[in-house]
Amino acid sequence: MKKVKDFITRDLTSVTEDTPLKEVAELLSIRELIGIPVVNKKNEVTGWISETDIITSIFPEKVKIENPDVIHLMNISQVVKKLTQVGQAMVRDYMIKDVYFVDEDTPASYVVELMLHKDFKRVPVVRNKRLIGIVDRSSLSRILLEEGSID
Amino acid sequence: MIVTVTLNPAFDHLLFFSEISMGKLNRAVSTLRMPGGKGINVAGSLAVLGDEVVVTGFLGGQGSRAFEGFLRKIGVTTSFTYIDQEIRTDFYIIEDKKNRQSLLIEESSPIELRYLNSFKANFKRLLHSAKLVEIGGSLPKGIPPNFINELILSANKKKVKVVLNLQESILKECLAGTSLFIVCPDLRETCYIFGEDICSPASRPKVAQWLLNKGAEIVILKYGDLCYFVAKKDEAWEGEIGIEGSNVIMLGVRDGMLAGFIHNYLKTNDIGEALKFGLGVALSTAQNKMSYLHSKKQAEELCVMAKLRKIS
Repeated sequence: MKKVKDFITRDLTSVTEDTPLKEVAELLSIRELIGIPVVNKKNEVTGWISETDIITSIFPEKVKIENPDVIHLMNISQVVKKLTQVGQAMVRDYMIKDVYFVDEDTPASYVVELMLHKDFKRVPVVRNKRLIGIVDRSSLSRILLEEGSID
Repeated sequence: MIVTVTLNPAFDHLLFFSEISMGKLNRAVSTLRMPGGKGINVAGSLAVLGDEVVVTGFLGGQGSRAFEGFLRKIGVTTSFTYIDQEIRTDFYIIEDKKNRQSLLIEESSPIELRYLNSFKANFKRLLHSAKLVEIGGSLPKGIPPNFINELILSANKKKVKVVLNLQESILKECLAGTSLFIVCPDLRETCYIFGEDICSPASRPKVAQWLLNKGAEIVILKYGDLCYFVAKKDEAWEGEIGIEGSNVIMLGVRDGMLAGFIHNYLKTNDIGEALKFGLGVALSTAQNKMSYLHSKKQAEELCVMAKLRKIS
């Protein structure tokens, strides 16, 4: 049976809870990533921050767009205010703390289930809580197609 | 886990020619492009030897994805600090007919302070899982040599072994008040270090003793293509291995020797054995077109050709 160690991406790119949100946005953009693990000073995974978390931090309210022009004008000052707040915010203010992770010996079938049922695209891989890499949908798909099966 | 630090990484672009005619159009027979830098090369060899290794340093631009992808494929974990500059490219020109190899190095750009701080924080996090840190290569513009000193002190604080593979000018700044496991000065461009001619057999023990007195546990000195002097407090060895043929590429060879030495010494605690194995790894790297050894098995076969002499 294929395990995480067979398709792990050996990448430790991460941020800490005191990283400014602005830097996270820059990092996600440079690396073309959708989300990134949050680690503490011992490199232990403590959370996850994604581009969705950043966008929803700026636009938290669900806006019903019946008349887009009016709503845009009505909300612009609120959005500017929010942008200023978010610009000063840290990862800890918007990260997801209830993070799922796997270890090197986790079966590929479990990762498939996690990605499909929870709609995750990237999942951190840990050893003794410390980040050692990432599994993502593309590497999982590649190994499934290469091997023809997850077993 | 072993961490290697390359603050100034670059792509190594190898261009193979029959012969170069200066001032004229020259077409390469073949080309190769791979991640380079002293720490990167050491990491590549350690990964092929089966060690768990993480590379760190500064990386940026369009090339970074290919750079990291290549390293991960050979089993190296990456943990870079991303900067808003394109990664450098160094050109290595191999002329088959003339049996000549030339390295052209691109200058680096300055690193902003915010990236330095981010790198230091990441380095400290990596130390929590590290047993050894290797720091090698040149410094990008704007980074003072005492920056390395800070990294060494952080590693010393965590009791992580430190290996230095640096030029004399940087090395000098790192010797005061630090504890070092291995010092392997970068002697690519010179035969002289601390005013001594390393090619003179009488100078080598003197230089080694001076570095041992400064706090190094082991000193490795290169005095020929694949000729090394290795010393610790009460023991010294010299060793060499023949390197011949037109298919030999010197890129990464010295880093391969260091990787082999580290890999073996951590298991055997024997500098003679480690030197022998290091020479095998170096020769395997020279015979491989990449900047790391071909395989552990080949290194084990080749190292029996090494000629070793116990000096003291």
